[in-house]
Amino acid sequence: MELSLAWRLFKRELQQGQLLLIILAITLAVLSVSGLARVSERLQVAINGQATQFIAADRIIDSPVQIDSTILAKADELGLKHVTNMQFNSMVYAGDQFQLVTVRAVEQGYPLKGHIELKGDNAIDKGTDIKADGLPKANEIWFESRLGGLLGYPKMLELGNSEFNLSQEISRLPDAGFNPFASSPVVLMRIEDVAKTGVIQPGSRVTYLYQFAGEEAALTAFENSVKPLLNNSQRWVDVQSGDSPIAGAVKRAERFLLLASLLGIALACAAIGIAAQRYCQRHYDVVAMLKTFGASSSQIRCLFGIHLLLVTLFGIGLGLMGGALLDLGINQLLPPEIAAYSPPLTRPILLGISTGLISAFMFSAYPLMRLLAIPPLRVLQRQLEGLQLGMWLHLLLSLGAMALLGYLYSQSWALTLTVVAAVLLLGVLLSLLGFVMIRLGHSVGMKTTNPLQLALAGLRRRARQNAVQLVGFSAALVLLLTILALRQDLLNEWQKQLPENAPNYFLVNIAPDDAKPLNDFMAQKGIAATDIYPVIRGRLTQINGETLISNEQAEAGEKGRVGISRELNLTWRNTLPANNELLEGQFNQAADEVSVESGVAERLGVKLGDKLTYVIDNQELTVKIASIRAVHWETLQPNFFMIFTQEALAPFAYTSMASFYLDEKGPNNTVSGEGAPKNTLILELIQQFPTVSIIDVGAMVGQLRQIIEQVSLSLTLVLVLVLLASALVLIAQTEAGMATRQRELAVLRTFGASGWLLRSATGFEFALLGGIAGVLAVIVAEFALYLLKTQVFELNVYMHWPWWAIAPVSGALLVALLGVWRCRQLLNQSCGELLKAGN
Amino acid sequence: MSNVVSKNSAINVVNLEKSVTTQEGSLTILKGINLDVKQGESVAILGPSGSGKSTLLGLLAALDTPTAGEIWLDGEALSPLNEEQKAALRKQKVSFIFQSFMLVDTLTALENVMLPAELAGVNNAKEKAEAMLGRVGLSHRLTHLPKQLSGGEQQRVAIARAFICEPKVLFADEPTGNLDSVNGHKIADMLFELNQESHTTLILVTHDLQLAKRCQRQLVMDNGHLQEELGAPQPHNVNDNLELSAKEA
Repeated sequence: MELSLAWRLFKRELQQGQLLLIILAITLAVLSVSGLARVSERLQVAINGQATQFIAADRIIDSPVQIDSTILAKADELGLKHVTNMQFNSMVYAGDQFQLVTVRAVEQGYPLKGHIELKGDNAIDKGTDIKADGLPKANEIWFESRLGGLLGYPKMLELGNSEFNLSQEISRLPDAGFNPFASSPVVLMRIEDVAKTGVIQPGSRVTYLYQFAGEEAALTAFENSVKPLLNNSQRWVDVQSGDSPIAGAVKRAERFLLLASLLGIALACAAIGIAAQRYCQRHYDVVAMLKTFGASSSQIRCLFGIHLLLVTLFGIGLGLMGGALLDLGINQLLPPEIAAYSPPLTRPILLGISTGLISAFMFSAYPLMRLLAIPPLRVLQRQLEGLQLGMWLHLLLSLGAMALLGYLYSQSWALTLTVVAAVLLLGVLLSLLGFVMIRLGHSVGMKTTNPLQLALAGLRRRARQNAVQLVGFSAALVLLLTILALRQDLLNEWQKQLPENAPNYFLVNIAPDDAKPLNDFMAQKGIAATDIYPVIRGRLTQINGETLISNEQAEAGEKGRVGISRELNLTWRNTLPANNELLEGQFNQAADEVSVESGVAERLGVKLGDKLTYVIDNQELTVKIASIRAVHWETLQPNFFMIFTQEALAPFAYTSMASFYLDEKGPNNTVSGEGAPKNTLILELIQQFPTVSIIDVGAMVGQLRQIIEQVSLSLTLVLVLVLLASALVLIAQTEAGMATRQRELAVLRTFGASGWLLRSATGFEFALLGGIAGVLAVIVAEFALYLLKTQVFELNVYMHWPWWAIAPVSGALLVALLGVWRCRQLLNQSCGELLKAGN
Repeated sequence: MSNVVSKNSAINVVNLEKSVTTQEGSLTILKGINLDVKQGESVAILGPSGSGKSTLLGLLAALDTPTAGEIWLDGEALSPLNEEQKAALRKQKVSFIFQSFMLVDTLTALENVMLPAELAGVNNAKEKAEAMLGRVGLSHRLTHLPKQLSGGEQQRVAIARAFICEPKVLFADEPTGNLDSVNGHKIADMLFELNQESHTTLILVTHDLQLAKRCQRQLVMDNGHLQEELGAPQPHNVNDNLELSAKEA
């Protein structure tokens, strides 16, 4: 009986639109979760896919010695693809010319991600890069353009005991990274050829790079089992290890997506909560009537359990379909190679179903308990509402549901509990303000002289109900504003990182004698070069007179303070570089001062005033730390750990580096007037300045831009979902107060209040409520943004002054429109109809 | 308190009292109510607003619990019963008609009438409901929703619903209170006609003297006391014909 009755009730209520709000709320929650899970998974793959191309693999183990074969066996066992690379420095000879190069010896299968880009035949003339099909053959070496320039494009090259054909010119290796300081050009060869060169001897400095790629689950399993086995000299690298220029962007985007999704879910849950309360209130009379006609408690429990389950399942069904449509829509916007990737549906579907069930039942639990406790006597005494259980129970269940859902989605208790605590805090804060309104509202009567007075009186009279509505309106606006601001700030930050015309070429090894002619050449061609940085290499040897030891020495058991094992690139500047931030002290003012990057300062354990001693060209130089800087490593700019004054570095020989932007058509302002095409210009530059090395980072910039575009898309998508959830909360909240409002309108109508007065008063009342909610929302949002920006996203904090006007005004307009729209039927009814309906 | 009740009593009340706690202290709504209603009898309870008519109705119909005294409904004492047992008793023996109709506004006329029959596990609920709606002249309105029906039609649906389970006792709370006089008369005719046909005991709470006069007995509630109306037969002495021990709950 219960099933058929529940089905009948469900069917009828659905047809009559009475379940619209609760179904919409469940649908939105499920749609957000299932859609976002799938879209973000797809974008994640897209972003990581792009990002992993920067390291040519999904994961890398970087080791100074060969790793244990069991590690590779484990990778095989997990079905991971892997290749082994060696990297070392060596001299190469071409006739009587020689050059130090960085040798990359790679195994068949390299690169696991991305591709090697080669210059086409007569590349410089034709100017196109082509994707390499395979690797150098045996006895063949592929070389970077710089080497060709330095050695005059020889046919053969000697490396150790062997001779190699120089067959192809490399435009870019996928994992070359961004290192304009790389002093030696790279050559690529097969790992099998290394042995016969005889250059690797016991004790030679070699870096072994073990690159792995495969399914995320297998990679995670691999990471969990292998990472603990690595020693201090071995490094585990993934796209987020911080080396890659996109690591920061990916990390922030992930955090944002997760946070925004969680807030979106919290909002959708709030909408479900409000809708569930309304759903239960509407059934009070039905329950009283059923009890009067003798329905047992178990029958009623069963009936409404099934009814709510039907509502929930319907919402879940719609939500899953909506999620799939969302995914389909997003897919149209993605590049085909990413769109082709189809992540498994299991997780989004399971997440969607559990979200629907948990949110519907846990948020409805308390209203449902009250519903089931409705006494049958209500049929005679309509004001009876049965037992009043503590609000704490409702709160506990709601927060519990939110936490459970948050954890299911984010798999992070820390993040989930933070969001839940924030939501709780928000609720308490807003409720306190509501309480103040209630206190103010005591003993205020009903004044009917003008609409504004009537609205004010109404606002105070319904203070308790309005306080609850206020919490709903404000919470929706707070979350919306927070997500809006964060999205904008993240986009701006990335835009700053990669502004239009970000340098795509770096010039390094500029000899002091070449500086002026190069400058003239650039000016003549109309190219605007960016800052020129002198570069001097030196080693840090002492801190406050204490001699430093290397990592290797420390590992060998030697006691002492550990320094930096390699030579550093040092520069001088009289002003703080644009993308650096001064954290402590004053930027170099006296000759013997140095400015140190904050990360390295922390690692070395140094502070302002400490004395650092360097060895440069076999001479010692001691300087004092005058400032600590934060450096944005993710920017494609030359960044330095140590910046000196010009006077301090004056005795040492230096080369310089510069960067510039050049688009495909060449500079806009060329002397010839025809616009020298990009590649002709680069060729000209190489020919005129053969010792200057040119590094092309255009491809990397392009990839970064693509990642940022994809991330922006996901941010916008989340914003739209949060917007929808907010709108639903607003609508649900407006809906919640309709019954009381109806009775009041009936009374006012009966006593002769005109339609205009009632409409204006209703509009004013909602507008006031929306306006107050807007003000509260701005205050709380600014506070929330301060916390999020400083604690989570590492973004600059500033006040959003325009919001202080926009939020209250748009809150007032929005809520007033919603309220009047929702009340329009009531306002158009005759008082007879109103009184009848209000009974 | 007596624990025996007349064999042919539909309702028997002894020393009934109902008090509620208010901010000002305890308020007694009903005091020393004694009443015996025979099976098949129709009784009107009259009285001004706030006199306690509806409270009495709620107590007699096992919707509420008295502060003191005892009620026997069709021979069964109510005080030992818990809420579940009272619900079961209502399902078997009692039905209702309300001033505000109390139809489920999302269900059709037919579905509203079926509801009590389904709750009681009647097999052919639909056929019986169709027949009942036919009896009240609404065969053409089966699939209409309450809001698509006039007030009179809604009350006819409520009457059909009240009689579908052939109750022993029917409680009607101001059944014509929301209707105009023409519709009120029609509804009253229908109610008394069905009542007589099915030999149901009718307890009718009303303001309407005309309606009350159509009942066999008229009782007046005044300030928490129940009195037999002048001119009407003398109230039954509840202790006169105690013949049968009440069933133990």
